[in-house]
Amino acid sequence: MSSHPTDFQGSIDEAIRASIVARIPDAVVEVGGAGGHFTIAVTSTEFAGKSMLQSQRLVYGAIAHLMSGNLAPVHAVDTLTTRVPSA
Amino acid sequence: MAMSDTLRAELTQLVEKNPVVLFMKRSRKNPQCGFSAQVVKILDELVPQYATVDVLASPELRDGIKELSDWPTIPQLYVGGQFVGGCDIVKELAATGELPKVLGASVVATEPPTLTVTAAAAQAFAAAAVDAGGEPLHLQVDAEFRHDLYFGPREPNELEVHAGGLTVLVGRASARLANGVTIDFVEGAESGFKLTNPNEPPRVRSLTPRELQILLAKGERLDLFDVRTKEELAIARLERALPLDETGERYLNSLDPSAPIAFLCHHGSRSRAAAQHAIEAGFLNVYNVEGGIDAWSLTVDPKLPRY
Repeated sequence: MSSHPTDFQGSIDEAIRASIVARIPDAVVEVGGAGGHFTIAVTSTEFAGKSMLQSQRLVYGAIAHLMSGNLAPVHAVDTLTTRVPSA
Repeated sequence: MAMSDTLRAELTQLVEKNPVVLFMKRSRKNPQCGFSAQVVKILDELVPQYATVDVLASPELRDGIKELSDWPTIPQLYVGGQFVGGCDIVKELAATGELPKVLGASVVATEPPTLTVTAAAAQAFAAAAVDAGGEPLHLQVDAEFRHDLYFGPREPNELEVHAGGLTVLVGRASARLANGVTIDFVEGAESGFKLTNPNEPPRVRSLTPRELQILLAKGERLDLFDVRTKEELAIARLERALPLDETGERYLNSLDPSAPIAFLCHHGSRSRAAAQHAIEAGFLNVYNVEGGIDAWSLTVDPKLPRY
């Protein structure tokens, strides 16, 4: 597995989760992965009626600060899934 | 940090000028990231030619495109000046069959190409089709104009062409490059299918010394030019080769652009440069003698001195 250096202190998973919930309050967030590569699944009513691009942009916008710069804690999001909760 | 106005203008112009642009890590032939590689693979199947931009070339570029698209990851696909998405989205569009629509008719062919299949070729295919167990015939042409004819299962997105009593399936990426292709079958010593593609730009073709010897022995029309220096010519030369000095150059320039011409040097690289130059000057049938006069000594005439 590849690893990428970061100067981030603390739980990256928790930082991702918190950042997404701060932007999308009803989001249910699952985070997996390590070594700078993450798999993120987000379920929220916010995505209803939005295209995949719009939905992913919303999530990426929430975690952009974790992905910028060479020492970013999140090097890549391998899979990002956005879902609307089933009724 | 916000990007400079100059970079923003450059990026905007880039995505507007090219119908399809992929911002990726490294190049189409050598992607340096699994996500870039996946998108290249998907696009290669659909689009014969598209622009790629290597974001690893500069940190400003890499940050700039992320800012322009408001998208934090690479690769990024632009079609008609519009941001389409990253790897996940392109994969999703490909899986649902929507990608050809997104790419549009300007990029992906929707009309089947026109093909000509000669009677000899049709007959040869009929015989081969029996062995193929009923699988359809496909024609593929890639951006380097390598042609492939094969039997195989029908694939999604292929266009159906009827020519010479045959059905030929052509992938959308191949369709524009295949338009006007003639498929013939040649009998004899070098029997096989022969494809002529009018879309193919002229390029330098290779001749081994042995192939050159055969052509010359057959008396085929071919003007051979030796690009080596006077000193080298004094050591070894071919009788048929005209030195590319002032006289040689004047003669070359007097030839018709369709005249077959070949270039020779010591090992084949100076002559390749000269051959490429001739292509750029408008000559259509240009050959390079691979390995040069040294290879001629080794494979054709051991009496010719090596140096």
